[in-house]
Amino acid sequence: MEGSHKMLLKLAYKNIRGNGWRSLINMIILAIVLTGMIWMQSMYRSWINLAEKQIIDWEVVKGHYQHKNYEPYDLYSWEKSLAPIPETMKEAIAANKAVPILLSPATIYPQGRSTPVLVKGIEPTQSTMKIPAIELKSANGNSHPGTAGTFLPAMIGTSMARSSRLKEGDVLSLRLRNIHGAFDAADIIITHIMKSPVPSLDVGTVWMDIAHLQELKDAPGFASLIVIGEEELGRKQFSEFKYMSPKDLLADFARIKETESSQQVIMFVILIFLAMIAIFDTQVLAVFKRRKEIGTLIALGMTKKEIISLFTLEGVLYSLFAIVLTAILGFPLFYYYAVVGFAMPEGFEGFEMAGLSEPIKFYYDPMVVIGCILLLVGFTALFSWIPVSRIARLKATDALRGKLK
Amino acid sequence: MKEILIKTTDLSKSFPTGEGEFWALKNIDLEIAQGEFCGVVGPSGSGKTTLLNIIGSLDVPSRGAVSVLGRDITNLDAKGSARLRAECIGFIFQTYNLLPVYSVFENVEFPLLLLKMRPEERKQAVMEALKWVGLLDKLNSRPAQLSGGQCQRVAIARAMVKKPSIVLADEPTANLDTDNSLHILETMQTINRELGTTFVFSTHDDKVIRFLQRIIRLEDGRITQDVTQVSI
Repeated sequence: MEGSHKMLLKLAYKNIRGNGWRSLINMIILAIVLTGMIWMQSMYRSWINLAEKQIIDWEVVKGHYQHKNYEPYDLYSWEKSLAPIPETMKEAIAANKAVPILLSPATIYPQGRSTPVLVKGIEPTQSTMKIPAIELKSANGNSHPGTAGTFLPAMIGTSMARSSRLKEGDVLSLRLRNIHGAFDAADIIITHIMKSPVPSLDVGTVWMDIAHLQELKDAPGFASLIVIGEEELGRKQFSEFKYMSPKDLLADFARIKETESSQQVIMFVILIFLAMIAIFDTQVLAVFKRRKEIGTLIALGMTKKEIISLFTLEGVLYSLFAIVLTAILGFPLFYYYAVVGFAMPEGFEGFEMAGLSEPIKFYYDPMVVIGCILLLVGFTALFSWIPVSRIARLKATDALRGKLK
Repeated sequence: MKEILIKTTDLSKSFPTGEGEFWALKNIDLEIAQGEFCGVVGPSGSGKTTLLNIIGSLDVPSRGAVSVLGRDITNLDAKGSARLRAECIGFIFQTYNLLPVYSVFENVEFPLLLLKMRPEERKQAVMEALKWVGLLDKLNSRPAQLSGGQCQRVAIARAMVKKPSIVLADEPTANLDTDNSLHILETMQTINRELGTTFVFSTHDDKVIRFLQRIIRLEDGRITQDVTQVSI
């Protein structure tokens, strides 16, 4: 049996070599498809990894305590989502292991235009989240609300700056409602435009010192969220705050991943389909063109099973050679994207998804590469076998005469 | 008394046609002994190729029995008939049927690959076969680079390389000119004489008929004459 396989392999190799340009074209098509599959999968996975890391570093960290009324997608809940910071968390906050955030719906007036925003108050010296809150300690501001001629330092993201046409140094009015329902206002100065890779920290958001916001809200010591930097801190129970684990907070991202995965499957199917058309076409042509050869092989003593195996093996060998070709021709491409990365075009920032603001450096997961290879080889074997299996119905005498029924 | 290698008993073969059945062979009783150099002759459509195909186990009879090398091949399974062809029967075709992507050496070597012979033995056998047909200088040529006569000599070498008991040659000179035909026939006659291989031709070529020791004439699927050359 082993000898038979070796013989078939040798014959299949000779036939492929003998087919010259036709073989090379098939291999190139398969190599392009394999490169595309690996590239797509690696880009997708690298983006997912990058985006997840950025969301965790910048926003989620080790989880949040959210005020019990807080609903991220219900802006009416934000006004009521605040409570005094629990005593047991104060030590962790002081030790920089957690950071409280106070939320308040507000209106800003850039160039006189009324723009609703969400103001987020954060401790400028925090290091729990990757947000550059320290920029709120700018010398341009740092005053108390209500002091005439001075402005409260505020920070916005690049997307917010673009949409509201604001830049560093701009001064604008901010109006919000305090916990008693009365409106209060202050002048703020944009001390920093933050380049956040996580759109939810940027779009429609103004960051300011939590102390200033607490003062404006007349809610000293209050917070809406407490972001924790250590897992152990997530085991506490508070009457006003509920714990949300990183998994809970990443649920939306998980849904995006699922959607993207199904899109990947569609792209995969299209790529495989294109490659298989080439293989199927080659094999149909081979059976048609080589029917006399098939008859000769039968006359020389090959069984139909061996002939089917031979033709199928030829198809599989195309994919194996395509793997080698991919390794040689695809290497510069793979290397480039691993080192330089793939930068999304400008317009993609409007997609408001994490992981798109900086070049995605590809990581080639061995399992992904092996999976793509196995998928290609498997489909090639199947699509080689389907047209070739009709040889089983071919009569040797018809084949010798070049007839194909 | 020489051993009977091929024996057909009441052999008939029919093919379906639009109007019913066409009987290509009718009640053929035939015995061919080891070492014979014989031919089935007759006009086109007389059933020569069908008879050779059945003897070569490429086709099955509709009625009757066929025994080759003492084995009843009438109901042989696909694997069994493939083995019979691989081990005991060599084929020579009118259109040579060489494998186009293989060199002369590889074409001749092919039947030995099916027999799973060791490489050094294969090489020796191929060189010997190519020496018989005088093509040692064309080892690496492709069929497309050879003349018709050379291609048919390669086909003879391929049929002979495994030293089969029987060679079935279907119109081997039909595509060749007189000189090449004579060369081919002389080569086969020499092999027959030296190795004792049984040759069965299907032909209507007078040049071939002159070389045959025994002529089996077939007309409308029936044997109408079975004579040895000396009796003609």
